[in-house]
Amino acid sequence: MSSVTLRELTKKYDGNDAYSLDSVSLDVAHGEFICLVGPSGCGKTTALRMIAGLESVTSGDIEIGDRVVNDLAPRDRDIALVFQSYALYPHMTVSENMSFGLKLRKVPKDEIKKAVIDAARILDLEQYLDRKPGQLSGGQRQRVALGRAIVRNPSAFLMDEPLSNLDAKLRVQTRAEIARLHHRLGATMIYVTHDQVEAMTMADRIAVINLGKLEQVGSPRDLYDRPANQFVGGFIGSPSMNFVPMHVESVDDGLRLVSDGGDMDVALGGVESSVIRRAGVSEVVMGVRPEHIDHVPRSGGGLQMRASVDVIEFLGNDEHVHLTSGDHVLVAIVDARTPLTIGDSLTLSASIEAIHLFHPETGAALK
Amino acid sequence: MTSIGAEGSTVTAPKVSRRRGWWRKNWISLAFIAPGIIWLLAIVVYPTIATIRFSFFNEAATKFVGLHNYASVFSTDSILTAFKNNIVWVLIFPFFVTFIGLMVAVLTERIRWATAFKAVIVMPIVFSTTASALVWRTVFDLNPHVGVVNAIEQTLSDWFRTPGAYPLNSSIGQTAASLASFNAQGGPNGTVISKSVVHPGGTVMIGMTRISAATLQTLGATTPVSPHKMSGGISGLVWNDFSPLQITNTTTIVSDEHGLPNLRLSLVSSKGLSVASTVTNSSGDFSFSHVARGSYHVEIQSSNFQNAFEGTFWLGSQSITPTNGLNQTAQSLLSVPLIDLAMIISYIWIWAGFAMVLIGAGLASLNREVLEAAEIDGATEWQKLRRVTIPMLAPVLTVVFVTMVINVLKVFDIILNMAPGSSQGPATTLALTIYNDGFTGGIHSGVASAVAVILFLLVVPIMYWNLKKIKG
Amino acid sequence: MSKVDPLEDEKAAPLKERRVAVVARRLHISTLTVNIALGLVAIFWLVPTISLLIISLRPESLFGTSGWWTVFTAPSQLTFGNYTTVFSQGFATGGVLNSLITSLEITIPATILVALISSLAAYSLVFGFWRGRDMIFLVIVGLMVVPLQVALIPVVQFYRELGNLFGLNPYGTIPGVIIFHVAFGLPFGIFLMRNFLTGIPRDLLEAGRIEGAGEWKIFYRIVLPLALPAIASLAIFQFIWVWNDLLVALVFLGGNVHTPLTIYLYDQTRSLAANYWIVSTGAVVSIFVPLIVFFSFQRYFVRGVLAGAVK
Repeated sequence: MSSVTLRELTKKYDGNDAYSLDSVSLDVAHGEFICLVGPSGCGKTTALRMIAGLESVTSGDIEIGDRVVNDLAPRDRDIALVFQSYALYPHMTVSENMSFGLKLRKVPKDEIKKAVIDAARILDLEQYLDRKPGQLSGGQRQRVALGRAIVRNPSAFLMDEPLSNLDAKLRVQTRAEIARLHHRLGATMIYVTHDQVEAMTMADRIAVINLGKLEQVGSPRDLYDRPANQFVGGFIGSPSMNFVPMHVESVDDGLRLVSDGGDMDVALGGVESSVIRRAGVSEVVMGVRPEHIDHVPRSGGGLQMRASVDVIEFLGNDEHVHLTSGDHVLVAIVDARTPLTIGDSLTLSASIEAIHLFHPETGAALK
Repeated sequence: MTSIGAEGSTVTAPKVSRRRGWWRKNWISLAFIAPGIIWLLAIVVYPTIATIRFSFFNEAATKFVGLHNYASVFSTDSILTAFKNNIVWVLIFPFFVTFIGLMVAVLTERIRWATAFKAVIVMPIVFSTTASALVWRTVFDLNPHVGVVNAIEQTLSDWFRTPGAYPLNSSIGQTAASLASFNAQGGPNGTVISKSVVHPGGTVMIGMTRISAATLQTLGATTPVSPHKMSGGISGLVWNDFSPLQITNTTTIVSDEHGLPNLRLSLVSSKGLSVASTVTNSSGDFSFSHVARGSYHVEIQSSNFQNAFEGTFWLGSQSITPTNGLNQTAQSLLSVPLIDLAMIISYIWIWAGFAMVLIGAGLASLNREVLEAAEIDGATEWQKLRRVTIPMLAPVLTVVFVTMVINVLKVFDIILNMAPGSSQGPATTLALTIYNDGFTGGIHSGVASAVAVILFLLVVPIMYWNLKKIKG
Repeated sequence: MSKVDPLEDEKAAPLKERRVAVVARRLHISTLTVNIALGLVAIFWLVPTISLLIISLRPESLFGTSGWWTVFTAPSQLTFGNYTTVFSQGFATGGVLNSLITSLEITIPATILVALISSLAAYSLVFGFWRGRDMIFLVIVGLMVVPLQVALIPVVQFYRELGNLFGLNPYGTIPGVIIFHVAFGLPFGIFLMRNFLTGIPRDLLEAGRIEGAGEWKIFYRIVLPLALPAIASLAIFQFIWVWNDLLVALVFLGGNVHTPLTIYLYDQTRSLAANYWIVSTGAVVSIFVPLIVFFSFQRYFVRGVLAGAVK
């Protein structure tokens, strides 16, 4: 197992004006499970393929272990890649699929056999060894793709949205299996996905990428509690964080935020006030997560909001309530037993700790 | 449909108008397909059945003869030759055309001018096989000033074996020894050597015969001069010892005889070693100077008689397989005429583009990621090709191969147009047999129909299988 | 870009060499070899066609005494003489131009008829309501399998019989050839058109019917325009096939006064084997027409080849 380091990795395709990947630096520790997340087209798959050696590097360096691998062919980098579409060899059986790489490296037959059987046992594929991919279900094929990677015992596992072709139930199941696999093998895993739930549940750390730029790297908790900017705040968590532009107003004991129309206001404490003063802005974007909004008013600082109910989505234990407050639309999550009907006007609140403040132009979190 | 009558009774509409309704609705639909159906029945279906019927009747189609025609087919040498040729085509052509199509399709992915390249390779399909046959006939022509192939062969041959000034005529089995006349005899390894022994200070005269006037003129031969003695050296004369004026005189120089220029000579010592060499001048005279004491013979080197390049008769029926001495039937079954090879090469030129297009489409539809997975697994380009790409292409390769087999079973145009008259018989195929037998000198139906039926039976199952593969 | 590190140069130097070597090994050299190899292949492929063209542009006196390749060192030898000779014959029977016209007379109607009848039949197979459509389609597709050699003799006889019955014997006439070509073009044509038409939604026809259009109008004004790409593919394929055919023409027009280009070439090659400078002009003319068709409609041609690996 090795560490993987990206140093200011950049990728620009000929003919494109924009950078697919813009100076991304990342240190993946030995044995760490890191997720690269972001919306479609953000560059995360490009980054993964560059680490694999399937795309060339425009500038920057990739290190696996302590070797700079920029110009090494994929086969010399000692990595394994699990493709989104699994990319199994259709004309080979499962065991041939898994042993292909080892055969090419002239590993002795009995070692190959052992490795294949071990991997098959871990992945519960033993009875499928003689079948061809065409005879397997999606979930089984996915496990063969994993098996192909395990058998190689690489320095790092690279995975490109391996779960996106599975149905929802299988996805949840396989998520846990991959997490288990990680603990069992202690392998360095770099996992690409657009699904933040996968990232939050599986990763030791998450790297959020948007339009080729690295927005934030941190543990799931870090990203949840302290998003570095509006993008990360809105990306992590589902339903996503509510954003409302607010004006900064002076009041006797400090500052407060008011929305257009005045339906929402936030009483700020000393810490938050000084943060805003330091930033020198008269407008901020306030962020608050739906799960932190209570349907009762409160005293002692924080957000107070008058809103009316538009839509109620019943989810069993919770309800997702879509609200209109003045010109702004927000979502709140409340206990399902709350008596609410469409059209109700109510006052909602959130504590000051749940309020995030973002710069109105850069989107950066104000600290 | 029922309707309630005035008295409450139900009246059912008669079946006739229900049928009429169906017809009215569908007659146009049926009218649309009618021309096609009628056409096919008249020109395809019925004639096929008729041919099968004809094959069991005599040539004039008046008397039923059972399997007699089929027996004829398998006992007529010319038809057996046709079978053999079709087998030769089937064994060689489909494999090579698929192979070349595959190689070209794979390599074309790496270059930028792929579209132009593909257009060049595909183009010959658009030419009629007749025109292509004509083109290739000139390419394989025997005359090196017409045929590119023979021109190249000649250049290579001349480079390695320079023809001599006095080439032998191999068609009449001429040898160097047969040219020896006065004081000359055939020597070892195709040389001509002087009979008399000569010492330094002496002269030697060698006469040759059967040299053509044209050669003499080309080489600028002049009247021979009697050699003068040269002290310490050996001088002599080689001349064309043939004069129409004095035919019988083969010992002295006659006025209308010519010296033989440009002959490479060696001075051979008594031990058989060559100690000096020289070349005769335009009057045929030569000299060796500063010769050591001893006795010598003069040798005319064999390279002088090296025959010129003769050319390969690609369009001919000489067999590549050794079949001399076999009886007629065995020969017709086992000999492979050279022209088959020439025609196959031409046919590959025509059809490789087809293979390339189909295989190229198959290649383009391959899942790129599987190849990337192979790269990550550690495969080199060659290993990727052999162990992943080609197995994944197996369906396309099969379709191409089988289509070409069917194509070649019916091969006709190229033989008719490329094989000169003398090669038509040895190069004939089944389709050609049907034409020749059925349509030359009037219309005959018995045996030709039998051959047609056999062709049909060979083609149909293969084509049926192929169609299933294409649809699936 | 990378920050300047005092140790960078030391680390970088051997790295740079390795990078260059790897790049060269992976990209340049192998691509160069491929380019050269394919370049040679392309030249090999062009040589026969070019040689034909050049031979047709060289005078009779040079044929057989100097190779056509000498034209590269002595381009002045090129002349249009052979073409003048051939064209000066005009449309006289037995000449190239006459054969050209005959080829057109055979090929164009054969192509139009196949396109039309196939489209009609396909329409009926796809949008008709009668039972047994799919079965009939399979049978028609199955007929693609029949080699035309099998039908020649009986059709000749059939033509004779038509002559006896109606006084019109198509044998030895151009319509006779056309009829045969159309018949053997139909299975493939119907196969191609039918598969294409299944992609047209029935709703379009229903909309037309509701507006009061009859079946023929729907076919002519709605379906046919939509089917043009498939018709183009079919037409090109059929055109080139019939244009280049020799066997059918030989059988039905063998001794005729008016023969298509293929028979013209065949006669020339057979009778005056050494007359290549003249014959090559005929070959060039016969190649010219399909070549234009090919280059104008390359896209459709390739699609046709892909759709029907069966002729």
